[in-house]
Amino acid sequence: MTAKARIRGVIIVGLLPALLIFCFFVIVPIIWSAWYGFYDWKGIGAMKFIGFGNYAEIIQDPVFAKSLRNNLIVVAASVFGQVPIALALALVLRQSTLYQRIIRSVVFLPMVLSSVVIGIIWGYIYHPQIGILNSLLDWIGLGTWKQAWLSNPSISMYMLAIPIIWNFIGPYMIMYIAALQNIPSEIEDASAIDGAKPMRMLFSIRIPMIWDTIKVTIVLCISGSLKTFDLIYVMTGGGPAHSTELLASYMYNNTFSIYRFGYGSAISTSIIIISMVLIAGSQLLMRRNTR
Amino acid sequence: MQTPVELKNALPEHRPAPKIKLSRGILNVLLSIYGFVTLYPLVWLFLSAFKSNPEFYEFPFGLPKEWHLENFADAWNVARMGVSFKNSFIVTIVALILTLVFGAMAAFVLSRFKFRGKVAAMGLFLLGMLIPIHSTLVPLFIMMKKIHLLDTYGALIFPYTAFELSLAIFVTIAYMSSIPKEMEEAALIDGTGYWGFFFRVMLPLSAPALATVGILAFLRFWNDFAFALVFISKPALQTLPLSLSMFATGYMTDYRLTFAALSLAVIPTIVVYLLFQEQVMKGMVAGAVKG
Repeated sequence: MTAKARIRGVIIVGLLPALLIFCFFVIVPIIWSAWYGFYDWKGIGAMKFIGFGNYAEIIQDPVFAKSLRNNLIVVAASVFGQVPIALALALVLRQSTLYQRIIRSVVFLPMVLSSVVIGIIWGYIYHPQIGILNSLLDWIGLGTWKQAWLSNPSISMYMLAIPIIWNFIGPYMIMYIAALQNIPSEIEDASAIDGAKPMRMLFSIRIPMIWDTIKVTIVLCISGSLKTFDLIYVMTGGGPAHSTELLASYMYNNTFSIYRFGYGSAISTSIIIISMVLIAGSQLLMRRNTR
Repeated sequence: MQTPVELKNALPEHRPAPKIKLSRGILNVLLSIYGFVTLYPLVWLFLSAFKSNPEFYEFPFGLPKEWHLENFADAWNVARMGVSFKNSFIVTIVALILTLVFGAMAAFVLSRFKFRGKVAAMGLFLLGMLIPIHSTLVPLFIMMKKIHLLDTYGALIFPYTAFELSLAIFVTIAYMSSIPKEMEEAALIDGTGYWGFFFRVMLPLSAPALATVGILAFLRFWNDFAFALVFISKPALQTLPLSLSMFATGYMTDYRLTFAALSLAVIPTIVVYLLFQEQVMKGMVAGAVKG
């Protein structure tokens, strides 16, 4: 009886601080965000209930559509850029020689930098007058290719995808290395004895064996791309003319630049919904492919 | 000198050996190039920090002709980096301690006891890993405005802790669950009680998991930009990424100052990374898989 009461006390004392702070700063805001999404509100003054008005506006909003499309470009760049590069690196950096460990560390390094720092560095790389990309083009005799990389709306989004790829290859590579090391060596040995060529080995054995890890990384590509904000804020602020606007930056601009708190909240909620739909969809698609 | 092809013809029985060596060599060259390209933006950042403005403009590549050490002192003063370093330090350390203490306590309870509501609590914390952080910015801003938490250290410390708790709890639970039940019984028979057992046995034994959680949390808190941008407007409370972002809009044309400031800001994270590489990599992957 007393023992039971004591255990109860331990449970409450142990769990309560974490639970309180977590509910107050994570769970409650999410619920509120969905709630504010039903209002027309400038952050101060009266809140006007407009039901699904904000959501109806989102569906027709061309800038929202543009942001979503840009987010999908980032997803595509991650899935078709990061995943293959990370997999290729994992295949050749699987052993733990000193040299391989050094290259692995280098590939991983951008991950530990603040995205503000990354944004500013790449802002300089792309800079039209002083940028090293333009200097490089001059140096190798392709001076005619020089341009203002970030202010040309037709390419700016693709240019922004490059630092994003560069930034996040490391963790995927480490995940693939871990997965590749888990493949039982008997299987690889047996197929080698059977005369499997490296390519055949890759597509018939290694990729199917690490398929679950690949699925996880694709989920991460999707959720990561919807979170992209800092880099855009620092490098372009979403411009020029919304050409590099992403959902998170559009949410931020609506809320804190033009004070449409209700609309911003509705966008936040949409981000959660879109994220869940994309993740579920990608999982269904990949399940069918394995069968 | 025999080319590999001639060698192959001469010694058919040893055919694979030279080929593998040669392709390994080419591979290592390619990997070195890849590593160099990945690292170059960072090297360029550090080298540029030592240059003068005209030199940066004229010779974007290569070593500085004169090493302008005073750039760092100037950047430190002009950008008031002392203040932002102090703020980042306070916010990071306090949030780190709260995350580790509350996270370890909750993980202890969740890994050791069976009770009603346990599944619900776990589910709630799991939700925290799936939610894109930015979708809570608007409601958190409003909430903190109401309780006058905006523009205080708490405006960053509490949300940082709340969002890091999920990962901290799940990584630590996984570790604590592997500690044998017998140790708990032995400790209770010795009369140490549950909290004695927690502090004297569980915490020391979970040190590797807590170290991983701590390093990840450090990097995330130190590098955060979005929360600081929205919740802090007083210059005296600016954290490092926030004060750096001012360069992106304000001083960006004073190259030497910007580069020196960026270099100073990334040094702590690079030092932590170089010291704890393995843990950072493992932790990011653990965090990535779940988040």
